Amino acid sequence: MDPLGLTRRSLAEFGLGGAAAAASAGGTLAQAGPGGAGAPPGALAVTPTSQAGLGPRLTLHAIDNAHGTPGAGLVCDLSIREADAYRPIKTVTTQANGRPADPLLVDDGLQVGRYELLLHVGAYFAALGVALPSPSFLDLVPIRFQIRDPRQRYHLPVLFTPWGYSYYRGS
Amino acid sequence: MAGISTHVLDTDRGRPAAGVRIDFSILEGTTWRLVRSVVTNADGRTDAPILPASEARTGQYELVFHVGDYFRQRPGTAEADIFIDDPVVRFAIFDAQQHYHVPMLCAPASFTTYRGS
Repeated sequence: MDPLGLTRRSLAEFGLGGAAAAASAGGTLAQAGPGGAGAPPGALAVTPTSQAGLGPRLTLHAIDNAHGTPGAGLVCDLSIREADAYRPIKTVTTQANGRPADPLLVDDGLQVGRYELLLHVGAYFAALGVALPSPSFLDLVPIRFQIRDPRQRYHLPVLFTPWGYSYYRGS
Repeated sequence: MAGISTHVLDTDRGRPAAGVRIDFSILEGTTWRLVRSVVTNADGRTDAPILPASEARTGQYELVFHVGDYFRQRPGTAEADIFIDDPVVRFAIFDAQQHYHVPMLCAPASFTTYRGS
């Protein structure tokens, strides 16, 4: 038996177990949401949203794949690359449906460029009471992408857990 | 085995991504210091570990994958389709005795990473 592997596995089990206990205290498994034990749910009452036909914009949808809920309360810093550095544009927090209240960028605000969205994943899972090693494997997660045509609509889904993440150009 | 390794896969074509440059950095204070640049082999891996066990320390690490250049050199990819050019993964070694395998699955408009084994 590999003792290190065992340590890692028990950390993971304890981590998600902690969140499940918080969810259970809130009533159902759907109750897992940020803000600590018994916090209001990340709302499985929300329904898919189509953005077909809307004008140029950059939109975000964060999904907590560790709990199967929208990633509510996730802090995200948007910046644009200028020369060798990223210049901050705005900081947003996702709502119960895993989306910020407004598009990250819309219409004339949508400019050609290289962007970075910094997701505060470590703080998100800490607020949920998920037990993780210190420092956590993931903390501030940079999502980098390009906007090439400001006349188009860009949707950015991000699926994340304490141990990995995925993002892509959605619609 | 401790240290850091990676594996780059082109999920658009279902094959290893060969010839991808990876810049490996360590956080010192508030500055990322480039430790080494490596290039993936035909299997999408690096010939030597990105961080050998002998150098493993707890701390913050960064991998920048230059997949945009890989997609540009690959036949059949339009420049306009490259949404993700130089993705970066930042992660911590929280226990230097453990190994950190950090694979990355890429397509011109998609990126995935996770702690593998």
